[in-house]
Amino acid sequence: MSGAGWVGAGLLLALVTVALLGDRVSGHAFDAQDPDRALETPSLEHWMGTDALGRDLFARIAEGARVSLLVAVGATGIALALGIVYGAVSGYVGGRLDDFLMRVVDVLYSLPDLLLIILAKEVLEGVLVGVSDLVRTLVALVLALSLTSWVGVARLARGLVLQAREEAWVEAARALGARGPRVLTRHVLPNIAGPLVVTAAFRVPVAILAESTVSFIGLGVQPPFASWGVLASDGFTAMRSFPHLILFPSFAIAATLVAFHLLGDALRDALDPRRKL
Amino acid sequence: MPRAVWGFLLLGALACLPRAAPPPGVLRINLGTEPPTLDWTRATDSVSIQVIDQLMRGLAELGPDLRPVPALAERWEVTPDGRVYTFHLREGVRWTDGEPLRAEHFVYAWRRLLDPQTAAEYAYFLFPVRGARAYNAGKLRDPNAIGVRALDGRTLRVELEGPLVYFPSITTFMVTYPARRDVIEAYGERWTEPEHIVTLGPFRLEAWEHEYRILLRPNHDYFAGPPRLKQIAAYMVTEGSTALILFEQGILDIVRVPPLEIRRLSSHPGYRRVPALRGYYYGFNTEEAPFDDSRVRRAFGMAIDRAELPKVLRGGELAASFWIPPGMPHHNPSIGLRFDAEGARRLLRDAGVDPAKLPPIRVVYNTDQTHRLVAQNIQKQWQNNLGVRVELDSREWKVFLKELVVKPSPVYRLGWGADFPDPDNFMSLFASYSANNHTRWGSPRYDRLVERAARERDPSRRQALYDEAQRILCEREVPIVPLFVSAINLLVSERIEGFEPNPMDLMFFEGVEAH
Repeated sequence: MSGAGWVGAGLLLALVTVALLGDRVSGHAFDAQDPDRALETPSLEHWMGTDALGRDLFARIAEGARVSLLVAVGATGIALALGIVYGAVSGYVGGRLDDFLMRVVDVLYSLPDLLLIILAKEVLEGVLVGVSDLVRTLVALVLALSLTSWVGVARLARGLVLQAREEAWVEAARALGARGPRVLTRHVLPNIAGPLVVTAAFRVPVAILAESTVSFIGLGVQPPFASWGVLASDGFTAMRSFPHLILFPSFAIAATLVAFHLLGDALRDALDPRRKL
Repeated sequence: MPRAVWGFLLLGALACLPRAAPPPGVLRINLGTEPPTLDWTRATDSVSIQVIDQLMRGLAELGPDLRPVPALAERWEVTPDGRVYTFHLREGVRWTDGEPLRAEHFVYAWRRLLDPQTAAEYAYFLFPVRGARAYNAGKLRDPNAIGVRALDGRTLRVELEGPLVYFPSITTFMVTYPARRDVIEAYGERWTEPEHIVTLGPFRLEAWEHEYRILLRPNHDYFAGPPRLKQIAAYMVTEGSTALILFEQGILDIVRVPPLEIRRLSSHPGYRRVPALRGYYYGFNTEEAPFDDSRVRRAFGMAIDRAELPKVLRGGELAASFWIPPGMPHHNPSIGLRFDAEGARRLLRDAGVDPAKLPPIRVVYNTDQTHRLVAQNIQKQWQNNLGVRVELDSREWKVFLKELVVKPSPVYRLGWGADFPDPDNFMSLFASYSANNHTRWGSPRYDRLVERAARERDPSRRQALYDEAQRILCEREVPIVPLFVSAINLLVSERIEGFEPNPMDLMFFEGVEAH
């Protein structure tokens, strides 16, 4: 892997560490309030300052990392699983089924993402009963975000399978008596795994951004929990007087996007079989 | 919700524009949101009032000291027993379609307000009028039996159920404004659109571009003389911070200052702060457990240290355990529950409630930065002081209001701004028959106290009645927990002359000039 790739991986590791340890490192609980110390600028005690309720911003960003990364990785995971199965079946079986499945994907692809996410989230929240607000919102967010991103994975997977199934080694496997499912899972999928892993790395930041957008307009997790989008949205309202409130969450979002991009880039290079020659 | 997005895009678009020279004579204000309605008989909220008060006038209007002074009525008399008012309408007042104002327009509007079919939330405002309550309840069928009559085209006689010290003040409020039967019946729900609406105030409705702006232009036939402005453009920018940037770019002339920006802007030459006659409270849905038990409600009230709220909000708010705000007669700062976390926990135990086993308490507020800050602070205080779990949820304003009527959440936030400067306006809000009382709590004793106070002419006896009623409301039964009294924080552009903020948060622009 290239140097940039290692930088990305390191950045990501740091983020995950912060997400896991966050408020234990800073010594402040993410929801502990102290109105007497509200809106302080960064100091040794509060590394990123405090918000309007006197909460430690570093602890809140760490908490936000948990929400944002969980939602983004969860949504990407589901999108990947769904997209690969759908695309691989479509590409491998081919014919009328392929036509039908791909038209469905085309229709879904043509719908505006944000609208679909908001709609799906509202519907899912209505369906999910008997769990706490936080769980409900998180599950709804993950499902809504994966709903819009699996179609891209499906197209990619189908293309890769179409290409692979014409290869000589697939023919060889068939000649030895392997049937459809076995060929697909044992021979085709392992060979197309590289590009799929790369696409996953690129999709996580997209999901983080989408979650931030949904949270920014007030449809994300409810207080006191906060994703980075919520924090940015809060900071935005006081941007002129207290710039630290928007700078740090924005920086966290930007750093994560960069990390995943660097990592994705490096993985693509590392996993590309032609590059090895 | 999507408006936040538009506001953001608008901000982006406007940030790119060069500073345009503001057109002289044009005042640009921000309503903050689309007014739910301009039908003054049915309107209930402060945004609608802000527009309606430019378009219409009542029998009386509020003078500079907030006392009622003649407006559409040039004078009025009251019989010695205080029961019958006779209003004499000003001569030569015309509606914008040229029709002269007649006493019947009041009779029609008041009957419409009281008609159970209209289902106006403010119907109870006229309950002091003879027969009004029975008519509103459907017990009295004949509208002619209501004590409001046009003696001739310019004389209106109002008979009350009993003496009422503040009755002329009521006639300054929008729901008592006259209305035109011919217009409303001809156009139905759409009568408030610019092409149909007929008004008689200082300004008239020029255009209503929904979810974007309302344009008003002067009414040259206004009885007190036309206003000096050439136009008012009232925008609907939801985000307070976006509105502030628009102000700083010279695109808006008057804006509210978002709480977090007050410290930076308090030295701005256009900064104005006045204490408001506006209370902010958390209400309980008293029909559902655990808040069907007054001990539980009291415990939740005692578990709040209100002193934290002004520190969080920083807008000159005053922590309040009482309901009648300072600046109002019969205000009494000694009333209300004191912060006592220990006592609150004991009270919960007495009520047989185990905080750890209680399902999460749901608090709903309408989407707004201030409400969100307050909700998070209260959430933390209740969790820390009582050991209960609290979940927050927010709604867009219209949805929020609808839910309050249909199914109020266990705890909700609301504010109440004075419609007229008499304590009755605050106290009768929580009468059992008030449609603005969403707590589903009612107390015959409270109702009686408030009604007696409304008739009581002796100030010290009136004080005693209100003190007792406030103790029921804020200390014993606690259907609501008052939190603080708001202040109004505005920025007014230097090109605006003659504008003064008002403790009732009403904005009057007749004497205003824009250079």
